[in-house]
Amino acid sequence: MINDRSDAAFADRALDRLPAASPAPEFEAALLAAYDGWQSRRPAGPWAGLQGALRAFSDLVWPGAPLWAPASAFAVALLLGVGLGVMLPGIGGQRMPFSLEQTPGFTLISPDLEEDL
Amino acid sequence: MHDPDAEDVAGAGRGDRAAAARLIARHSPKLLTVARRMLGGQAEAEDAVQDVFLKLWTHAARWQPGKAKFETWLYRVTLNACYDRLRRRGTEPLEAAAAVPDDRPGPDAGLDDVVLARQVEAALGELPERQRAAILLCHFRDCGNVDAAEIMGLSVEALESLLARGRRALRGRLAHLKDFAGE
Repeated sequence: MINDRSDAAFADRALDRLPAASPAPEFEAALLAAYDGWQSRRPAGPWAGLQGALRAFSDLVWPGAPLWAPASAFAVALLLGVGLGVMLPGIGGQRMPFSLEQTPGFTLISPDLEEDL
Repeated sequence: MHDPDAEDVAGAGRGDRAAAARLIARHSPKLLTVARRMLGGQAEAEDAVQDVFLKLWTHAARWQPGKAKFETWLYRVTLNACYDRLRRRGTEPLEAAAAVPDDRPGPDAGLDDVVLARQVEAALGELPERQRAAILLCHFRDCGNVDAAEIMGLSVEALESLLARGRRALRGRLAHLKDFAGE
């Protein structure tokens, strides 16, 4: 614990020696210009809503990722699932633990219950 | 949970340029500092922060206040942008990138300060990226361990472990400079 605190103090002192990476005014202006560019390219019309909904769903699945990333993951998972379903169709059927034709019998455990019935 | 950025994010999403300018002024300096230290070069850090703000504008219109703190999201996106660039960099050694002399020290900065800063930066660049990110978040963003853990998607215990290992490794790499570091 003491070592951790001493390491932390050392690291803080070392990092304090680094010069500040302050953004140049041109950099902030470039960021604002990018905002203006984005504003002018914003989709409008009937497709804007659909695009927004797609992007919202994409954010829900994979926050911050570009649209193609969750779409690709979904496509790979779908292909894998379909592939396995086609290649190995019998697995599920062979391992069914019971069937409707052979319903298991049951016995009443308590003799009192049997009398009640 | 009051989010001081919520109004400006919503405003930027509606096309309010002044709100966008306020977000840029408030967050770009620290984001750039973290990206600069993660990536080791000013130009690449500026590109990464540009990407982050572009992503911010596209998400601003759909931002739901109260779901997550905006700043947490912003730093998480910044770290992811840095990780992507580090991975894309592939075989290029981090030390080489960290040695790019694009930090301009002030005219009163002595040679020792410049040399020391380069060595600290190189040592930082040699750390595994997640250890580096944990150290940078806690130092330059002044955030507590809980915030930093949330940004990195870790438990507080895991973050503390990363921090401890990272700081120990940094100290080991800079042990020969302990006089400069004030020990």
